[in-house]
Amino acid sequence: MKLLLGLFISSLRRRRFAAALSLLAVMLGVALGVAVSVVNRSALDEFAHGVRVLSGEADLQIVGPRNGFDDALFAPVVLSEGVAAASPVVELDVRLPGRDSPLRVLGLDLLRSIQIQPALRPETGPTLDAGALLDPDLIYLSPAALQRFGLSVGQTVRMQLGARTIALRIGGVANGFGAGQLAGLMDIAAAQWRFDHLGRLTRIDLRWASGGDTSAARAALKALLPPGLQLVPPAQREEQAADMSRAYRANLTMLAVIALATGAFLVFATQSLSVVRREAEFALLRALGVTRVELLRGVLAEGCAVGLVGGSIGVVVGHGLAAIALNTLGGDLGAAGYFAGSRPALQFDLLASAVFLLLGLAASVLGSWWPAWRAANADIAPALRSSHQPMLPPASVHRRVAIVLAAMAVALAALPPLQGLPVGGYLAVACVLACAVVCLPALAHLLTRSLARWPGLLLGLVRARVAATPSHAVIAAGGVLASVALSVAMAIMVASFRDSVDAWLARVLPADLYVRSAQGAVAVGVEPDALKRLAAIPEVARIEPIRHEQIRLDGGGLPVALVARTVPAEGADRVFPMREMRPCSGDCVWVSEAMSDLHGWRTGQQVQIPIGGGEHRFVVAGIWRDYARQSGAILIDLARYQTLTSDMRANDVAIWAAPGVAADMLRERVRALFGPSLEIASAELIRRSSLALFDRTFAVTYALEACAVLIGLFGIAASFAALAAARRREFGMLRHIGVTRGQIGTLLALEGALVAGIGVVGGMLAGGAISVLLIFVVNRQSFHWSMDFAVPGASLALFAVAMLGFAALAARLAGGQAMRLDAVRAVREDA
Amino acid sequence: MQPLRRRMLGLIAAAPIAPIALAAQADAAVAYPVVRPQRLRFPEDHGAHPAHRIEWWYLTGWLEAAGLAPFGFQLTFFQIRPGIAEDNPSRFAPDHLLVAHAALALPQAGHLLHAARTARSMPGLVGASVGDCYVRLDRWRLWRQADDFKADVDAGEFMLQLAFGPTGEPLLHGEGGYSQKAPGAEHASQYVSLPQLPVRGRVRVGERVLAVSGKAWFDHEWSSSLMHPDAAGWDWAGINLHDGSALMLFRMRRHDGGALWHGGTLRRADGTIQHFGPSDIAWQVQREWRSPRSGVRWPVSQTVRFADRIISLAPLMDDQELDTRSTTGAIYWEGAVRAMEQGREVGRGYLELTGYDKALRL
Amino acid sequence: MTGQLEVAGLTKRLAGRELFAGLTLTMAAGEFVAVMGESGTGKSTLLNLIAGLEAPDAGQITVAGQVLNGLDDQALTLWRRRALGFVFQSFHILPHLSVGDNVALPLRLNGQGTLAASAIALEMLGRVGLAARAASMPTELSGGEMQRVAIARALVHRPTLVLADEPTGNLDPDNATRVLAFLAEQVREQGAMCLMVTHSHQAATVADRVLRLANGGLHAA
Repeated sequence: MKLLLGLFISSLRRRRFAAALSLLAVMLGVALGVAVSVVNRSALDEFAHGVRVLSGEADLQIVGPRNGFDDALFAPVVLSEGVAAASPVVELDVRLPGRDSPLRVLGLDLLRSIQIQPALRPETGPTLDAGALLDPDLIYLSPAALQRFGLSVGQTVRMQLGARTIALRIGGVANGFGAGQLAGLMDIAAAQWRFDHLGRLTRIDLRWASGGDTSAARAALKALLPPGLQLVPPAQREEQAADMSRAYRANLTMLAVIALATGAFLVFATQSLSVVRREAEFALLRALGVTRVELLRGVLAEGCAVGLVGGSIGVVVGHGLAAIALNTLGGDLGAAGYFAGSRPALQFDLLASAVFLLLGLAASVLGSWWPAWRAANADIAPALRSSHQPMLPPASVHRRVAIVLAAMAVALAALPPLQGLPVGGYLAVACVLACAVVCLPALAHLLTRSLARWPGLLLGLVRARVAATPSHAVIAAGGVLASVALSVAMAIMVASFRDSVDAWLARVLPADLYVRSAQGAVAVGVEPDALKRLAAIPEVARIEPIRHEQIRLDGGGLPVALVARTVPAEGADRVFPMREMRPCSGDCVWVSEAMSDLHGWRTGQQVQIPIGGGEHRFVVAGIWRDYARQSGAILIDLARYQTLTSDMRANDVAIWAAPGVAADMLRERVRALFGPSLEIASAELIRRSSLALFDRTFAVTYALEACAVLIGLFGIAASFAALAAARRREFGMLRHIGVTRGQIGTLLALEGALVAGIGVVGGMLAGGAISVLLIFVVNRQSFHWSMDFAVPGASLALFAVAMLGFAALAARLAGGQAMRLDAVRAVREDA
Repeated sequence: MQPLRRRMLGLIAAAPIAPIALAAQADAAVAYPVVRPQRLRFPEDHGAHPAHRIEWWYLTGWLEAAGLAPFGFQLTFFQIRPGIAEDNPSRFAPDHLLVAHAALALPQAGHLLHAARTARSMPGLVGASVGDCYVRLDRWRLWRQADDFKADVDAGEFMLQLAFGPTGEPLLHGEGGYSQKAPGAEHASQYVSLPQLPVRGRVRVGERVLAVSGKAWFDHEWSSSLMHPDAAGWDWAGINLHDGSALMLFRMRRHDGGALWHGGTLRRADGTIQHFGPSDIAWQVQREWRSPRSGVRWPVSQTVRFADRIISLAPLMDDQELDTRSTTGAIYWEGAVRAMEQGREVGRGYLELTGYDKALRL
Repeated sequence: MTGQLEVAGLTKRLAGRELFAGLTLTMAAGEFVAVMGESGTGKSTLLNLIAGLEAPDAGQITVAGQVLNGLDDQALTLWRRRALGFVFQSFHILPHLSVGDNVALPLRLNGQGTLAASAIALEMLGRVGLAARAASMPTELSGGEMQRVAIARALVHRPTLVLADEPTGNLDPDNATRVLAFLAEQVREQGAMCLMVTHSHQAATVADRVLRLANGGLHAA
């Protein structure tokens, strides 16, 4: 062990710069992975905690459409066999005028909820008697809500309710909510009354009597439920939340893993170069009696040390990053919707820490394996000769391997998703990356050959050097390739996605103006007579109400969005961009791509949909593209929906201006009708804010890509630093014969750029291929979103040039010691 | 006023948010009808009087089962009208709150088995019918069927399925059921009893199902008035005497322990009724039992002098304390007692003691 | 006075030790001078000073009328690429350039076009007998051939002065003799000056004049 330390690990100290870069690369990869995982875990835990708080000790929950179900169901449920306690719940997200964060209002029958959610109860102030708990004008707010909205007990709080606002008095603090949960507690009757939810419940929580949970009791309970209602254990709702965001989380984790893989390349690069430099040293050790295995172990131990130290720091840094991310971006890392408004507390994630520490270790050990093997199996005698010129072995092109990898990528891409995750797609991405790396020597050859005709002495020198030592180029370019491939793939995917979303938004937002009743507070809506008043404004040509509902289909799965809009006779593709469509006859619905992916619905198929407490037959008349709801959406004609549900309210209203009416004029008129609290937005504004949201969603991926690119550049720097010493004599001779210091710098920069260029070209090609996988396999399978392929040419060109520039700079800085004058003297044997 | 309070202890025991305070709310937005002397009609007045602030149906008694020592039971349904937001059309609107309380006093258990339920009224699930007795709170029910009252209460740990009857003539306390509870005419209730009520049915304790029979006492009382400010608590007893007569006695205590009001009724087997006023009754403590849990000293054995008789009350067991301080702050004693006269058992019934830890703050 | 090397009053201290104290050296155009000396007497430092790679503490160096003192690194480098040729003990042929490209390097540095440079390099290689190897990579050459390539590179751009540092140090005696003779012949043919430092008495025999470096000064052998 001491020997190991003395002979090998101490060598890391001698090449501090390269070792530090390897360490940094492993650290970054591990930190990113840990951070993503910790944020996810914290967000999920918080969500699960929230669900647990809200569902208390419930064994089961009756859930249905988001807008609720008939509360007449409650009495039979209470009396159903085996049920010990049942708690009716009205759960609504409402907005405070002018505030972004939604407030979750929980209407509970405290006399019953106490048996299931004992922790959730108001803490009344000293001046209030218990009777105030039933006061319909009181609401009890969680400490987080009081703090967030800057309210205090006794104050009046206004809430947006469709087109109007209501005022409630804060009766006290509501206890039992999770830290950070923005919630309010009310009497259930008051909530139904005040929030226009008379006759409707959104949930019933149940507890079985001991021994009451029998199959007969479950069957009896199920028999009570009208279509569209389901009996689910609370844990399933936690799972569903996890399911909903799993694909997104998996994608982030994959990015972190790719960053780590780039780190492995870097370890490989520095270790390879270091092993080459130490050939004579190793030969001497071998001559002195160190065995092959000991040598192998020694070099591997160096890798282990880098992995262990870098990984450990990475775990700490990862938690730090996670803390920053949670504070600044929130639990969904800026992606809207998964854990909206959550600010979870940081949790130490032992599992993720262990896994990513091991991955970091594996990356370093794998990166050291080939160099170690080479060191152990090198010929001793030639390396001991003083005239020995340490050289990397020639890089060979494994054409067959490349072909096999490419074929595997194609085959894997064709696989269906595994548990909703595009596992095949991810593996195909790995194959493409591996294939690209295998092809790198060939690419290096191709590029240097094609550059042969280019004039210029220095370029010629660089070209000759790179062509003659492709191994070095490959080692340094590998990391660049991986990170560029990742970035290019993401850039193409995001650009394609953004273009498609932009085009989609233009299609789904045809009107001049939109009135939106509080985003995120979907259940409450604009009442019919407000709509009538709106339509009666002379400046309004016509209005189109839109109602959003969320239903549950038989057979479980995630809730499905139901979009009720007026579907014009000319065709549903006026409403949503249809991918396929057929003429509608009879009762029709049009479904999103996710519906056809997840539920196998096809055009022309007859489907059963529970709406308004009854099961109804519809024909699928079209499949449309939807970027808003990844677990599926169904478009139904508004009139049909209203007949089936008697729900006449609307969430959004599209407004067309009468001829000659300016947008501002129209907005003013609508504003005058609804007052200042309702959101009135032009199509353009919604488009812009939607795209801003989109951009924010991908902000985190940019950060991950930037890290990968940084690690790739480290690779360039590390390999040039490692070679600088070995090339001192070369540069010294050049200086003797009249090459200026500046020319040496240019030489290094050009060489860095050329090497990086090989990686960049390879990365562009691989990235292009990966982007195809991302768009047509990974995204399709994860989110069920199809999109049109679009290449952001200008950005990619800029990125490539920047990469070359940075690589040139990195190489020049890292190789700087070769330019010093003492290097010049190194040419002389007896200097 | 006193039995009113007494029954409201049940509320305290059952409710998580002390609806007792609801009933005590003086500033309720509704005008509750005031109790006045009037002619009661049955079975209509067995049913609910929902306009009043509070109403209860209360059954206590002694049961016997083969191979088991005699034991006590108690079952109460309260209906409270909070008078809040009565214009709310919601199905869940808390027009009335119902509280139910059941207890078994088994000597071999050494303490009370008890259970409580609280819920807001809701058609088809929770409520008390007008016109005849039908009270339900989820699965707990009390109703009149032919000449019998029936109770069906499954508290999990124990279960009561009892039939009470035949009922005989209702015993109307005070002036035809108008019963004054404290100085001042406004401190009164409508108070009807069905004493000497034969009871039979089934009781399940744990896994064990017992066929039982015995004698019960049924009270039905409604009122809109609040507790007298000078009152600290009360003692109440309802006894089925073995000679076929029925005896109800109560005392309202002042904060200093002295009596604020006394009242009582004795109906002899032949149907003649004797009413006792404040000057006719005197209570005297025979023996106190100190609860090892709460430290409260309960006068579990008392002597009551009324008219020319002296009856002493001896508990079936000492520990019939109900401690609900952790949820509501109230602690009381409600238990089966034997009535002794000249060393002989002359009857069996129930004794209720309140306000011995501190004055009930109502 | 063209083609003359003039070193006057050269003083150089290294690590507190006075290496040279007022060293003087004059070389005539076309002269081949060998400098011998013990290890550590400063032979290589002398070459470095004359090549402008190190600065003297005192004294003046003039090469073909160019006074080196006061020139900055850039100027010295540009002067070096024009006026000097180098032959090193361990050849220093760039392994990734072909033999021809290695020889053409000084020409390219002096601004010759690729084709012209290649042609001249080929001709130069012909003179050292390696024209056939122009397209070969240096790894394919023997040590003697390698040094001939180095000599070709040192002379290809017709420098005023060739500095040779133990040019035979890495060669076996037979090869060493041949290479030395060849170096002397080529230098003379071009009329260049050559200053060679060496350990080898045999090597010194090819010189017009042999000097001995000792006690900080040059002495006739």
